[in-house]
Amino acid sequence: MACSSSALKTISPPIKLANPRSHPTSSLLTNNTLLSFKLSNTSLTQTLKFQSISPQTPSFSLPKRSFTCKSQANPSDSTRPTNVQELHVYEINERDRGSPAYLRLSQKSVNSLGDLVPFSNKLYTGDLEKRLGITAGICILIENKPEKKGDRYEAVYSFYFGDYGHISVQGAYLTYEEDTYLSVTGGSGIFEGVYGQVKLHQIVFPFKIFYTFYLKGIKDLPKDLLCKPVEPTPYVEPTPAAKACEPHATIPNFTN
Amino acid sequence: MACSSSTRPTKVQELFVYEFNERDRGSPAFLKLSQKSVNSLGDLVPFSNKLYSGDLQKRLGITAGMCILIENKPEKKGDRYEATFSFYFGDYGHISVQGPYLTYEDTCLAVTGGSGIFEGVYGQVKLHQIVFPFKLFYTFYLKGIEDLPQELLGKPVEPNPAVEPSPAAKACEPQATVTNFTN
Repeated sequence: MACSSSALKTISPPIKLANPRSHPTSSLLTNNTLLSFKLSNTSLTQTLKFQSISPQTPSFSLPKRSFTCKSQANPSDSTRPTNVQELHVYEINERDRGSPAYLRLSQKSVNSLGDLVPFSNKLYTGDLEKRLGITAGICILIENKPEKKGDRYEAVYSFYFGDYGHISVQGAYLTYEEDTYLSVTGGSGIFEGVYGQVKLHQIVFPFKIFYTFYLKGIKDLPKDLLCKPVEPTPYVEPTPAAKACEPHATIPNFTN
Repeated sequence: MACSSSTRPTKVQELFVYEFNERDRGSPAFLKLSQKSVNSLGDLVPFSNKLYSGDLQKRLGITAGMCILIENKPEKKGDRYEATFSFYFGDYGHISVQGPYLTYEDTCLAVTGGSGIFEGVYGQVKLHQIVFPFKLFYTFYLKGIEDLPQELLGKPVEPNPAVEPSPAAKACEPQATVTNFTN
């Protein structure tokens, strides 16, 4: 989960503060020319020094499970729960995870298709009393919208809930709109088989986000995830105990 | 938006859409991060194109996402990508997909979820390339959702290299778009 160093130089200041245009220009891949995508396939007919690394088809068969998944028994389709359960969480960027990593791969001075933004922030219960875990994933910049003073991203990421498991999501993140809906693509642990959608509500871009999950396909959520959420305002903060990860203010083996 | 029915619909609904790269969205952005002269694992291709109804009469919105280059296949004169992207249908919502994109043949991707009228959707989608990489035709096989609106269910135009959106759809005239088509 930690941002490992790589050949790419990463910049870790927040994506933007007041002015969307006032971002630092960084030069990534200075030695490399980014080729523009060609119409014809001629670039593919060059001779390759391509080493095939795929092994011969192994004759072994993988064990049924290479690791233990905490999961409930698989309900058949006819008994897959269809009731909706609402789950509220807060995602807060406390600026101590090196996130986000704005990779200006488009090499343009304005946010452009090609820029990638991996990120990982902290996750708290909707009442801000317990630390749950983290978010982790990537925002793919699709388009800068100057008339809206913001950007459209395609976001693909997961929410980690310690021993409970995780939920994966995919959809649009619009920095200029208060609310967007992403699809819940699946989950593990108590969230195995989950489907539905999640409402992303921006409070303070890009540091505080409030989510409302509308989850189907899973058994009743445990009590310590269900709480009366704190109303989203710019001043919301986790309780000091949750922020300090004191044992009574976290869920078991909260993800970090 | 919450489904109050006691069972998840299991009937299959077919939905046809066309994806066009009209070269006015700066797409694709071929990031040659592998730093090799041929397409190689490490190259990433974010993209975003325009989306039209299967009958080519209405502008629906856009596609948005990324292709991860997996392997160049010289004997097929093409590449294998792993694609993760979404289809945006204006006020109707979106559908997210994930799966293989082979520049040299048709593939099936997984429908991983959706929002709006597509909330709870599952199933798969067939990707058919017409003119690589500018014109693609998709056939969605969607389950788990209420009946789709008529507006999305026009008789699809048979895919051929000369297909184009209607001039009204291309110009986004109000009667030739869905409400708040994504742009």
